[in-house]
Amino acid sequence: MNGAINFDPDMRFSIAIDIGGTFTDVVIADSNGKIFKIAKTASTPENPSEGFVHAVKMAMKLANANAKSIDVVLHGSTVATNAILEGKGARTALITTKGFRHVLQIGRAEIPRESNLYGWVKPRRPIYTRDIFEVPERIRYDGIVDIKLDLLVVDQIAKSLTEGKYEAVAIVLLHSYSNPEHEIQIAEKLSKLLPNIEISISSEVLPVFREYERAMVTVINASVQPLVGRYVRQLSKELSGLDVNCPLFIMKSNGGVFPPKEAARSGVYMALSGPAAGMNGAAYLGKMAGFENLITIDMGGTSADIALIRDGNLQMSTAARINEQPLAIPIIDIHTIGAGGGSIASIAPNGAILVGPTSAGANPGPAAYGLGGKLPTVTDANLVLGRIPANLLDGQVTLDVEAAHSAIYDHIAKPLGTTVVEAALGVISIVNETMHNALKLMSVERGLDPSDFLLSAFGGAGPVHGAELMRLLSAGGLLVPRYPGILCANGLLATDLRYDFVVTRFQRAGMFNYLEMSKVFKELLIKADSRLDLDNVPVDRRALSRFVDIRYAGQGTELIVGFPDGEVNASTTASAVEAFHDLHQELYTFADRGAAVEIVNFRIQAIGLRDHLSPPVIGVTNKKSPEPTSTRSVVIDNSGPRLINVYRRDDLLVQDIILGPAIVDQLDSTTFILDGQKADVDKYGNLIIKEVGL
Amino acid sequence: MTELFKDSSIKSARERIIFELIKGGLTATRREMEALISRTSMSPFIREKKDFFTAILNPLGELVVSTSLTLAGNLLDSILETYPLEVMEDGDLYWFNDPYSSKGAVSHLPDMVFIMPAFSEGRLIAFVECWGHLWDIGGSVPGSISPSATSVFQEGIMIPPVRVIRAGVRNEEVFRIFSQNSRFPKLLEGDLNSLMAACQLGKKRVEELALRHTAVAIELAFEEIIVQTEMAFRSEILSRIPNGQWSFRDRIDSDAVSTQPYFIDLTMVNKDGDLSLDFTQTEKQANGPINFIMHDSVPKFMLGLFMTQNITGIGMNAGFQRAIKAVTTRKGSLLNPNSPAPLGLRSHSMFRVNSSLFGVLAQATGGFASAASSVYVLYYLRGKLPSGGEELCIEGLSVGYGARSFADGLDAVYYVAQENYPVEFAEIQFGVTIESFSIHEDSGGAGRYRGGCGIIRDIRVHLDEMVLGIRIDNCRYPAFGVSGGLSGSPGRVILNPETSASREIKTLSDGNIVKRGDLIRIITPGGGGWGCPYDRPPVQVFEDFLDGNISEQSVFTEYGVVLTNNKKEVDVDKTSSHRKTLKRPTKMFNRKIQYDAEDDRDDKYQV
Repeated sequence: MNGAINFDPDMRFSIAIDIGGTFTDVVIADSNGKIFKIAKTASTPENPSEGFVHAVKMAMKLANANAKSIDVVLHGSTVATNAILEGKGARTALITTKGFRHVLQIGRAEIPRESNLYGWVKPRRPIYTRDIFEVPERIRYDGIVDIKLDLLVVDQIAKSLTEGKYEAVAIVLLHSYSNPEHEIQIAEKLSKLLPNIEISISSEVLPVFREYERAMVTVINASVQPLVGRYVRQLSKELSGLDVNCPLFIMKSNGGVFPPKEAARSGVYMALSGPAAGMNGAAYLGKMAGFENLITIDMGGTSADIALIRDGNLQMSTAARINEQPLAIPIIDIHTIGAGGGSIASIAPNGAILVGPTSAGANPGPAAYGLGGKLPTVTDANLVLGRIPANLLDGQVTLDVEAAHSAIYDHIAKPLGTTVVEAALGVISIVNETMHNALKLMSVERGLDPSDFLLSAFGGAGPVHGAELMRLLSAGGLLVPRYPGILCANGLLATDLRYDFVVTRFQRAGMFNYLEMSKVFKELLIKADSRLDLDNVPVDRRALSRFVDIRYAGQGTELIVGFPDGEVNASTTASAVEAFHDLHQELYTFADRGAAVEIVNFRIQAIGLRDHLSPPVIGVTNKKSPEPTSTRSVVIDNSGPRLINVYRRDDLLVQDIILGPAIVDQLDSTTFILDGQKADVDKYGNLIIKEVGL
Repeated sequence: MTELFKDSSIKSARERIIFELIKGGLTATRREMEALISRTSMSPFIREKKDFFTAILNPLGELVVSTSLTLAGNLLDSILETYPLEVMEDGDLYWFNDPYSSKGAVSHLPDMVFIMPAFSEGRLIAFVECWGHLWDIGGSVPGSISPSATSVFQEGIMIPPVRVIRAGVRNEEVFRIFSQNSRFPKLLEGDLNSLMAACQLGKKRVEELALRHTAVAIELAFEEIIVQTEMAFRSEILSRIPNGQWSFRDRIDSDAVSTQPYFIDLTMVNKDGDLSLDFTQTEKQANGPINFIMHDSVPKFMLGLFMTQNITGIGMNAGFQRAIKAVTTRKGSLLNPNSPAPLGLRSHSMFRVNSSLFGVLAQATGGFASAASSVYVLYYLRGKLPSGGEELCIEGLSVGYGARSFADGLDAVYYVAQENYPVEFAEIQFGVTIESFSIHEDSGGAGRYRGGCGIIRDIRVHLDEMVLGIRIDNCRYPAFGVSGGLSGSPGRVILNPETSASREIKTLSDGNIVKRGDLIRIITPGGGGWGCPYDRPPVQVFEDFLDGNISEQSVFTEYGVVLTNNKKEVDVDKTSSHRKTLKRPTKMFNRKIQYDAEDDRDDKYQV
């Protein structure tokens, strides 16, 4: 390494590396809040571990840190995500109960609601029916064995697996959540017969009822296991090679992290970890800034991810979908829409103006990038309106205003018979409306009033749209993080170890068996504790909480509510049921307190708390209103261009106040503030934007 | 504005952008309504199966944005007969389910319709509506629908248009009367609450949009949305359907209470883009519940959705209705029955209306229409619980859909947006064991594109005695194939298969007694194939064999593909030389044998 090594023995560092499809974001921060360095570098999709090592070295260099001073490396990766989305997992087989080999092909037999009946094609499942093998056995929903497992069949299946060159196998038997014995027997026998094959069993991966959904998760887990395993083992090896011997943690879709060994077993839990890191960062920064209720929007190049934070907590969902297919593990409830900086604007033959979901991506990218893209995008519209500068990343990238102009003229303004400026304003207002509608669906639909929430806009493109979205939504304000373009890496620093343990045990209405319920929780608790033991989490750093999935008798979907600490008895159960009625009332506008309820799933959320680094505090101003560095001609609305003040984000100090309209430029993003709005700078450098007079 | 917009009433670019914002807002509003219903309803029919519909209408009752389900007539007219526009107040909510008075806009009794006017700037600017299929509304059997019904009065309670909420105040008496008539009043009340809440949400959103963009802008946008759909459909008709006249007949196994088959008859005439659809030669109305009061919007929506499937941004709305000149039916026929003909299984006729449209389209376009789909299957198991309560298991089962000119038919699907119950849900909920659930091999008609496969579900009964009702069509008359594709295979119901006590149960029947320990095997039919099977790439045929979609025998007999001796791959040379010796189909349609439309129109409807 070059330069002087900063060998202050008290200086301890955390490194966060978020590898996205296009860029890798790097943050290194010290535990005393003195050093906080960021960098952005191109990703190396063909060999992500190489990019990882490069990023670690880069981080150490930025802070002059030596290998021994690194406390932890946190890593967000799209290795599993890409394998799932592109169907490039390992060659995987499924073993299931005799009579159910078409479980994936049939699915839930639905044609999606928003599709055209006549044109829709069933999406390809992760594996074909020909990759599915049946074993004679049958377990009932109450765990009683109806038909004993015929283990002899497993010998034949093992032979077929070898012949078929399968690298991974999933085992999903009916009702295995209630009795995993048969799945375990098959797994044990197979691991003896085929020591090199990766095995996932559904009673471990996701022991909850609904066989199609459970099979999908288990098959996907099996198919990413070999790949993720190889990847994380390589990372650990590379870190050792750099003499960095601290723990490495990998980002999960539930907002937490887990160690490489667990990632290698449960790769499916990394499925949607990319946006989760960003949302986690938004929640953490929000909390530091004093805001616990946020609606977040992460607007990147191709899409915008929307999530909700209530009382400082991210909302969880078990209803995520990938390629129209369910992924029923607990995932941060994120709604993704096709609205990003690269979203293409066009006019359809019937005259409809479309913005997205088609995207120019990073290559060829917006017309203004000059990489061959000729179609107008949201970025091109922002550029011709003057809302983003022609020089990005401190002049590393120069945008071609002329190209943006002619793309909008050719494809939008000319067919509409209007000016480029009016066309560009139209493109922005349409993409904003798309995001506004999605934001509304997240909040108002749940009976929540957006004015009780701050909007947090980040991602490269978020801050330039945030002020308009806040106004459309009548949100209580807008928070633009200090580093909106690297919030994912930032969010990694604020993660905890986090595991979700769940099992289905039907508790019929009016027939709750408290003894059994208590036993179920105890068993989950033992699992959770032994997991945290493996991670060496001290007892006083553990937060274990109980949850149950409850539904009205006969309903097909459940709500997850907390189950109080203490003894499992009529009283604690009643308060969980009461919480269910309350939540039902809140989400669905009514509760039926007289109706019978059923408890279906039992959950333990196990958190191993890590020390979170505070973001660095910035200096206090002595002037109140900062000096603009320049002025720029910006189109705000139909009244034409205006000369407005431009500020440099890096110059802003605590207690600075900026009155809109204004532009704040920084390396990784641009913030656009409207007339009638003012921005306060908080001690971490976040911009808190509000409507004046509200 | 330029050439593209010369016919539009929205003249400036700025107004056009506002139009897009309103359109986005209306679409989002409808999605919010759907999200609310799917989360708040109580019965499995709406919650799990998602059998419901939402829409926003203009003040004439025309659909502007809606769910893409083709059962969507004008639901407003029958309300207006009792409650004209001038008596409607802000906060009113109207309710009914009477198919006869609505001329089929609601097509059978369990679908409960709710409509609410929205106001802005002192005038009525829109209606929001939804309907949902209720679990049990009285009638002769639990679940209300029975294949053995012979009168609409056996199919549940009938609600004429009533103002159930007047200016925000709910009429509790009406509710009490209604829920008293259900065997499951709790579920019923939950569903009604859910549907009404969705209307109220939709109304609020539409009024917010009007406040933001003005009422005039909303009215302009409504019209523009409809016109965009109409124009898109019209241009497809003009470019794809030549002038001419084509007739087609499709058939229904029986009306469930007799063994008599029925037919739907359609003649389509195109004169310079003006289409008319004449169903008057259809068989007379049935004694059993397959009667379908076909609102004239239904075939228009079907044809519209089919022909605009590749156009982005086109939704189902009144534009499809305006683009077609005329739809005619004959009073007293299957598609225009006299009250009180029963209606519970109207989808059997609805699916044949759809396939008749494909039949005339195939002739008009040289084969570029889908093959026929089988109609979804339901079974009903009713029994007494040891506790004295009633057990009611209603499961919708998937079937195979027709192959398209660009893709295979869908394997194992039910209908738009409706999900089946997981086995692990059904077993605990209904007290039965599902012993296997698999693809019905060889049920999809062979073709260049294969018809979708049906399924096989084995259900073991655990109560002392239960009564089985079952409805499977497309057994005597399987789903036809098009352009050389073969027809799908029929379904069957077998009690205790592969035992000495094995016996067939009629595929359209009710009142079948089953006992503890009996196994019911339900086999559902497949969809028709499209194009000559000998043109299907051999590797796809082989993969279908590996996946259990077709048998080893069919690989050779239906598709002319020869496998190597070890059956591990296709013998390419032998396949191509064998296929050259095969005789290719020469007629447009296939149902067990190949035929042309005129070969199947001999019989005259009965009077």
